[in-house]
Amino acid sequence: MVILIALLVPAAVAVWLLGAGRHLAHQVVNRVALVAAAVTLSAVVASVVARPSIDRPWVPALDLRWQFAVDGISAPLLVMTAVLGLAVVAHSSRRRPEGGTSAAFHACLLLVVAGALGTFYARDAILFFVAFEVVLVPMWVLITRFGDAHRAEERADAGARFVLYTALGSTLMLVGILGLVSAAGTADLQVLARGAGSGIPRHTQLLIALALVSGLAVKVPLFPAHTWLPSAHTIAPTAGSVLLAAVLLKMGTYGLVRLPVATVPDAFGRLAPLVAVVGAVGILWGGLACLVERDLKRLIAYSSVAHMGFVALGLASGTRTGLQAALFANVAHGVVSALLFFVVGGLKERWGSADLAVARAALREVTPRLGFALVVGLAASLGLPGLAGFWGEFLSLYAVWSPAGDRPAGLLRATAVAGALGTVLAAAYALRVARIVWMGERVEPAIADSRGVEWVVVGGLVVAALVLGVLPQVLLSVTSDAVTALVGGGS
Amino acid sequence: MSLAAARLVVLLPAAAALGGLLLARRGAAPARWVAVGASLATVVVALAGLASVGGSQRTHLGQLLPALRAGDLEVPLLVRESATPALIALVVAIVAWAVQSFAGWYLRNDDRYAVFSATVSLFSAAMLLVVQSADLILTFVGWEVMGWCSYLLIGHWSRRASARRAALKAFLVTRFADVGFLLGVLALASGPGSTAYPKVLAHWAPAAAVCNDTAACAAPNGTLRTVAMVLLLIGVLGKSAQFPFHDWLPDAMEGPTPASALIHAATMVAAGTYVLSSLFSVFAATDAARWVLAISTAITMVWSALLAFGQSDLKRLLAYSTLSQVALMLSALAVAPALEGPGAGLLHLYAHAFFKALLFLLVGWLSVTVGGTAAATMRGGLRGHAVIRPAMFVGLLSLAGVPPLVGFVSKEYVIGAAESGALHGQARSMLVLAALLVTVVLTAAYCVRAWLVLDDLTAARPELHEKDEANSPVMAAVSVLGVLTVFGGLVVLTPWLPLDGHFSWWMALVSVLLIVGAGLAVRATVTQGDPAERLVGARMARFDAGFGVDALYVRAVARPVLALARFVVFLDREVVDAYVRGSAATALLSGRGGARIHRAERSSTSLVWVVVGLVLVAAAGVTLW
Repeated sequence: MVILIALLVPAAVAVWLLGAGRHLAHQVVNRVALVAAAVTLSAVVASVVARPSIDRPWVPALDLRWQFAVDGISAPLLVMTAVLGLAVVAHSSRRRPEGGTSAAFHACLLLVVAGALGTFYARDAILFFVAFEVVLVPMWVLITRFGDAHRAEERADAGARFVLYTALGSTLMLVGILGLVSAAGTADLQVLARGAGSGIPRHTQLLIALALVSGLAVKVPLFPAHTWLPSAHTIAPTAGSVLLAAVLLKMGTYGLVRLPVATVPDAFGRLAPLVAVVGAVGILWGGLACLVERDLKRLIAYSSVAHMGFVALGLASGTRTGLQAALFANVAHGVVSALLFFVVGGLKERWGSADLAVARAALREVTPRLGFALVVGLAASLGLPGLAGFWGEFLSLYAVWSPAGDRPAGLLRATAVAGALGTVLAAAYALRVARIVWMGERVEPAIADSRGVEWVVVGGLVVAALVLGVLPQVLLSVTSDAVTALVGGGS
Repeated sequence: MSLAAARLVVLLPAAAALGGLLLARRGAAPARWVAVGASLATVVVALAGLASVGGSQRTHLGQLLPALRAGDLEVPLLVRESATPALIALVVAIVAWAVQSFAGWYLRNDDRYAVFSATVSLFSAAMLLVVQSADLILTFVGWEVMGWCSYLLIGHWSRRASARRAALKAFLVTRFADVGFLLGVLALASGPGSTAYPKVLAHWAPAAAVCNDTAACAAPNGTLRTVAMVLLLIGVLGKSAQFPFHDWLPDAMEGPTPASALIHAATMVAAGTYVLSSLFSVFAATDAARWVLAISTAITMVWSALLAFGQSDLKRLLAYSTLSQVALMLSALAVAPALEGPGAGLLHLYAHAFFKALLFLLVGWLSVTVGGTAAATMRGGLRGHAVIRPAMFVGLLSLAGVPPLVGFVSKEYVIGAAESGALHGQARSMLVLAALLVTVVLTAAYCVRAWLVLDDLTAARPELHEKDEANSPVMAAVSVLGVLTVFGGLVVLTPWLPLDGHFSWWMALVSVLLIVGAGLAVRATVTQGDPAERLVGARMARFDAGFGVDALYVRAVARPVLALARFVVFLDREVVDAYVRGSAATALLSGRGGARIHRAERSSTSLVWVVVGLVLVAAAGVTLW
């Protein structure tokens, strides 16, 4: 029941807004969306506590079912999605979107949230795919319609690139899913995970895993399928960037855990060295690109590529620690990147652009709150212990240093070294930003500091980053049992 | 009881940091109360902790936070308490209290004092975490948080470009070295599958933790142990500012003087000595790592003692002396026989904390009166001050290692450790011993120089001191540190430090003679004024530039990395992304082609992809069935 509320309320409100909300004032639309997001959040929290499940036939002829449930792997992501859904709506309360009606804007936000929640709730492979795809169109609208108003051409380019890329990825994933479902004879993810690929020929398993991994790698994104991300982030409005980084990318990594890792573990094990290498290259690649990138939003986007590399390393290790690390890094990146995009998006609105080469007032001098939030975000981004980013990175490096027995230890240790070097690059680019934006003696041109709802949202994320960093067991204990069920007690 | 103290000394300053940050907007007064009050309370708790262990070296373990469930890795988050951690925690707490007391006065007109004091609290919490930790992860957490706090403190005056650069340099150099530390921690933890010190030590150290000949110590995993310890050591060299990572520390003088006192005296640069001595039974069995440490410290102690002599700024002179003295501590760990344990290094850490904190606070205090820390500005500044002058005298004598001050006692234990290694014919002990004796001479020389400059009668301006408005907390801090500098050496009579090494009387005699000789030689070069001006002369600019190591960092590391980054961006745009643009162009072309064929509405690009996808699905269906 609560699952249905969590899914239907945002979807229904979004549809209603699209149909009837065209002429409503921004404030009204925002209030309606806010209520919807709040209801969704409470329903999600209730579902995470009660852990209900739904199982109804959908298309009996194809044996498709409405099958939703919650477990330790999806619970943190569900809560994070719902919280950020509320946060982006609240954040938009005083910002009338440019480029379209307010109703369409909020409808897109709610649809993205609904689709993401559906993806995390789904326990049926086909249903998972459907929910996964629901997100695509509203996100495309957010980028192309409501993106950076000054750059129409780049908006179209970024939107097209986003759609092309992720549609390609989805197609590959669909191939994998269909192959998997037809080979195993069921679309039930729980049954598939229990079977762990038994009864499917080895080379078929490998093909399925290859299709799934390469399809999802686009969404994560892993090197070299990452080039859609910087342009999409640069152009997207603040709310879009936040959802993109904190929710959409998580769907990719979540999909990796649910589909190839859980259902065809042996074949994923054979691909694991490749995944690890790709992840390590992504860490170094993203980190290096950040050292010279001029656009602040693009820079944060590249840093996302680097952080997702750590998730890939954790998954590739094949150990419980690695999986725990990947799930932790996933959530941590959600919190930290949301924080950074809220701050950086706010700065871009105030500055009029996000070009680092333009001399501006030092945040430490003129906007202490925004400056503080930025520094916390940067520190978390460089993996400072005590903040959210640390545990995922540390544990995933540990996991690739001592991987599961069937993985090539030497190669994976090399990726651990690369990952550790990546943390230095992270420090270098984070402090580069701090030195340019936060420190300095300039006080002109003055900009307004964060107040009201914006500060509540940003401050809340700062607290979340701190809590996850100081008390990681809050999250680790939630995922622990599900991970053990997935990988097995020993490893 | 003792474990409660161990937890509390970490949590109290951490809470003070949080409280100070929340109060930052309320102005300086509440922040000062929180910072100084909490640091004083920490001293009291640390004293209670030391009293409750009562000199016992038996280690008690307890949780700091609930243990982590991290899959196959056991992360119990333990803290420990025994005499040695309790004593070092007390030293850290005292120095942190002295620094907070001093900063409250020194930065009384600074608009960001509240943030500064909160950062100092966090810094001391991180160091105390390293001291009390019995878990590699907790050590690493404290280690990294210290690095971050040093960044904030050095960059405190962020309106100055030089402070911004120094902060960045300090963090990046230490963070680069920390790659080694991180990998070392991973490698050490991966053996026993746990980050708890007892398990790590039991897994990697040879049985009974005693081993005199290396052949018996070669465990089956000897190579991995060597790799792990060398990696860990690289991190230690970075944080402790040893060659080749040493150049960040002198630049860190851009931070306010209280920050320098904290970083130099009892926290960041000394942390490496403490961590290595916690892992000493493993470290002592790893010859390669000990060789690396011996070479690095031997170079650092002589090199930076030499540079200290020629500095035109007395604060930088102290910075270089820190490098040299930290090299002394670490060198004890490189040469001490496994049986003697790490006591000599820890004793020097203890001694150095007091006299270096004292010297920094005095230089900071004096700089307020005379208006700067350059040797030319400070000349004769001591004359006429009833507190700074005797305290500075004691501090410099202790730095030079004159008996019976604390610096003499600890330095003789370090020399004793090197001597006993050298008597066994160990080549690295001989190397370190030779470097130590050279350093003794150079240290005496720069201490005498500093005194001659500061106490120059011809440049005396006693009237300046009449305006001195230092308050009672400053007096208290300086007095406590001064007393500990004089009488701190008595600690060797207590059971608090594991001092199984020996004190070599004839080496003590040799070093005293060397000190006297060096002092007289420097004194003889000038009748008045700065001896460095005569001995170093026009080369002082090169001394100030640290013989160009900074430029070397830029040329050898920073520029190549940036060039690589530009290359990566080029590849990203022109190679990786070219496929995407290519596919977009293809899609558009085929879309137009399709539209022309059908004479219908222009198909959108995504529709084309759906068609392509359908084809792929069909193809997959055919192959899979």
